[in-house]
Amino acid sequence: MIVVRLERRVATPRWIGVAVPVASVFAALVLAGVFFVLTDRPPLTVYSEMFDAAFGDVQGVKNTLVSATPLVFTGLAAAFAMRMGLYNIGGEGQLYAGAIAAAGAALLWTADLSTPIAIAVVFVAGAVGGMAWMLVPALARALLGTSEIVTTLMMVLVADVVLDYLISGSTSYWRDPLTIGFPQGKEIPDAAQFTRWFDARITVALPIAIVTAAIVWFVRNRTSFGYGQDVIGDAPHAARYAGISERRTVLVTLLVSGALAGMAGAAEIGGRIYKLEPSSLRLGLGFTGIVIAALARSNALGVLVAAFFLGGLRNAGQSVQAVADLDLPKSVALMLEGFILLCFLGGQVFSTHRLRIVRREPARRARASAGASS
Amino acid sequence: MTDDTTVRPDSGPGAPVLAATGVVKRFPGVVALDDVDVDLRAGEVHTLLGENGAGKSTLASVLCGAYQPEVGTVFRHGRPVELRSPRDGLAHGIAMVHQHFRLVERFTVSENVVLGDPQLGRWLARGAIDDRVASVAETFGLPVDPRARIHDLSVGQRQRVEIVKALYRGADVLLLDDPTADLTPQETEALFVTVRAMTAAGKSVVFISHKLGEVVEISDRVTVMRGGVVTGQVARVDADRHELARLMVGRDIDLDAQQFAAGSPGSPCLIAKGVTVRDGEQTALDAIDLEVRAGEIVGVAGVSGNGQRELADVLAGVLAPTSGVVEVNGQPIRSARAARAAGVAYVPEERLGTGLAPSLTIGENLLLTRRRGALVSRSAARRDAREIIARFEVKAPGPDARCRVLSGGNAQKVLVARELAGDGQAPKVVVASAPTRGLDVGAIEQVRALLDDARRNGAGVLLISEDLDEVLAMADRIVVLYRGRISLEADRASADRGAIGRAMAGIA
Ligand SMILES: Nc1ncnc2c1ncn2[C@@H]1O[C@H](COP(=O)(O)OP(=O)(O)O)[C@@H](O)[C@H]1O
Ligand SMILES: [Mg+2]
Repeated sequence: MIVVRLERRVATPRWIGVAVPVASVFAALVLAGVFFVLTDRPPLTVYSEMFDAAFGDVQGVKNTLVSATPLVFTGLAAAFAMRMGLYNIGGEGQLYAGAIAAAGAALLWTADLSTPIAIAVVFVAGAVGGMAWMLVPALARALLGTSEIVTTLMMVLVADVVLDYLISGSTSYWRDPLTIGFPQGKEIPDAAQFTRWFDARITVALPIAIVTAAIVWFVRNRTSFGYGQDVIGDAPHAARYAGISERRTVLVTLLVSGALAGMAGAAEIGGRIYKLEPSSLRLGLGFTGIVIAALARSNALGVLVAAFFLGGLRNAGQSVQAVADLDLPKSVALMLEGFILLCFLGGQVFSTHRLRIVRREPARRARASAGASS
Repeated sequence: MTDDTTVRPDSGPGAPVLAATGVVKRFPGVVALDDVDVDLRAGEVHTLLGENGAGKSTLASVLCGAYQPEVGTVFRHGRPVELRSPRDGLAHGIAMVHQHFRLVERFTVSENVVLGDPQLGRWLARGAIDDRVASVAETFGLPVDPRARIHDLSVGQRQRVEIVKALYRGADVLLLDDPTADLTPQETEALFVTVRAMTAAGKSVVFISHKLGEVVEISDRVTVMRGGVVTGQVARVDADRHELARLMVGRDIDLDAQQFAAGSPGSPCLIAKGVTVRDGEQTALDAIDLEVRAGEIVGVAGVSGNGQRELADVLAGVLAPTSGVVEVNGQPIRSARAARAAGVAYVPEERLGTGLAPSLTIGENLLLTRRRGALVSRSAARRDAREIIARFEVKAPGPDARCRVLSGGNAQKVLVARELAGDGQAPKVVVASAPTRGLDVGAIEQVRALLDDARRNGAGVLLISEDLDEVLAMADRIVVLYRGRISLEADRASADRGAIGRAMAGIA
């Protein structure tokens, strides 16, 4: 008789970090495939269309890189906190706040600036906006121990309302006074509109995203601050013993996390939308960042890979809507994303446990019948 | 269900109640058990004796069903049984009391006892359960209040709860994994009374220990293990401490606590004045005045829970006193960082979780109290770790092993080495809390030698220990801590065991 058993792992081998995300993607494709079959769409056709759209040719890859760019920032935001056991669920709200700040700063200051300085202004403003949105949750967590999961999430709702108010609910500085009828945001000056490269919407935001990931990786792995995060995440008493301030580390970590999400907003404003426009911002990029951080197991370089992949998925979602005989909405991308996260979270058990296949000889199975209760 | 399984010739009434033959269990990089045989007779106390890492806990885990052996068979009353989980073990009347308790802190004693009990119905008849728990406890001399909450209980009391839990479920084989490691001498005595009551009632006990003295006192038979193999088995009548020590360590060992030469004290380097720690109503430390001079060891004797932890934390800057001051070489200590900067090394009472971060590697843990700049080098830390592993014979898979997989003794070696032997810079003050508790003979020797080295190198050492022999063997001066006050102060020359014992018990 063969028995399959889950056994606790003593150590997590390195390959698991790659195998679990890859396998969960496959499992998600299979599960989602059931839906396609049930709705009379051949899953393999759907997937090959999607794959082609996302990674199949140069134009597809370009579009994927465009979609991936803000996701790198939101992914880093979630990952930076997650690795020390803090959950910033509100990247979406910080992204809005970052976009508001970036658009405001661009409108205010960049008209007469040179391009590099304008780019810096947009990103710094975005970071400051995201950080400001995180200020209350971060202080509450560091000083009072309030769950950052709840507070950051609540702040998303607030950001959502503020966003609407600035454009449709008031004649704010962000709103274009010349639009009649449907209210719109004011377009930012040319200097703050990032140049497009390679005939696509690839902009300076992409290299900035990659460099940011490298910096985050460096901070996590090579600095005393990152080391302190590890210690606090694992053993708060040990941190106290060693004189590492938990308060300060939590505060800084959450603020930086907020700033990173705010930079996603800046990248969207300067690289794609050029004005504060609620409907264009509301893509759930902040929430996808959480999925990315989970898939990347909070590793900053893994975030680049996962963002590229989920960026491709979003891009593919856009493209398959155009394939007439499949008749798919673009939200297939979100459905797949959800499946991937679920499969990944389920697959986590394999990083702490392993399957063991045990062969036993029947003669040895001698459980006393008396004892086999329950 | 009828059983048509192979029955061993020695099954039947005279058969061992529990036995295992040819047990092999591997972990990555170690063979924890290598072809081990062991058997337990009705009504006996059978001790598994061995140094840390010998495989005692692993063997007990196999016997109770927590681990499945790769090769080998477990027999219950002479019949082979397959225990797939501790629950299976319990169904066979086998229960293990783990070294690290598995109790829910917020629950009451009774709630913990019935937690997971398959017999428990849908409703909790609290009154009836409390009564039953109390009666089980009383039968075996285990004074516990069924309605007390776990977080209010001491280590010794928690252990009683674990034992009551096993007995309540009807276990008649009890596996006690290193039960005395964290107990005070008084609690150990009380535990032995319970063990004797259990065997008198026909229950059998597997007792795990590395302390020779108590093994000789409590066991009917002793199986000695080293490196995953059984090196010998003796009945108590034959038990000779030197022989047991040799079987355990693999070489001859000088059993009597080695007397260390007295230091030559210089000027005071650690001074505490009027240190008081209050936590709400409780006064943990009450106006303590203490002075440690360079080149001496001051031993703090006393039963744990009398302010030791707070004293150590205050002196190392980890805990801010309610009032009073601490100075190291004239510098006030107001934070852990300040203490480190002034050259204070601190070996805390709780190793894993405070002194070491369990999920970080050995190398990363070495960085914990090193002076760190803005950047850290994990590769340098890895080199350090390799060196310490080699120098102190730490049994570990390598420098990247997480500290939680180390046995207690090996974890402590890493911790003490980091605090005392690292960094090329000798500490000026050492605060060591229970530095040898729960360690085996070899590790104790190493740790004491490091403390002695620190003294020779001119450090002022504060040695807080419940082990009076250790304090007497090492300290130049002795103070006794009782209820947050110093109840006695004596020089080594004038130290009188009787007087110290009375001071520890609060009898003036
Ligand atoms: N869960 C585990 N994973 C990996 N190694 C282990 C595990 N448990 C024990 N070991 C190793 O097996 C050996 C025996 O350990 P253990 O049974 O705990 O010894 P003892 O209880 O005698 O101190 C040690 O080398 C230890 O490091
Ligand atoms: Mg053990």
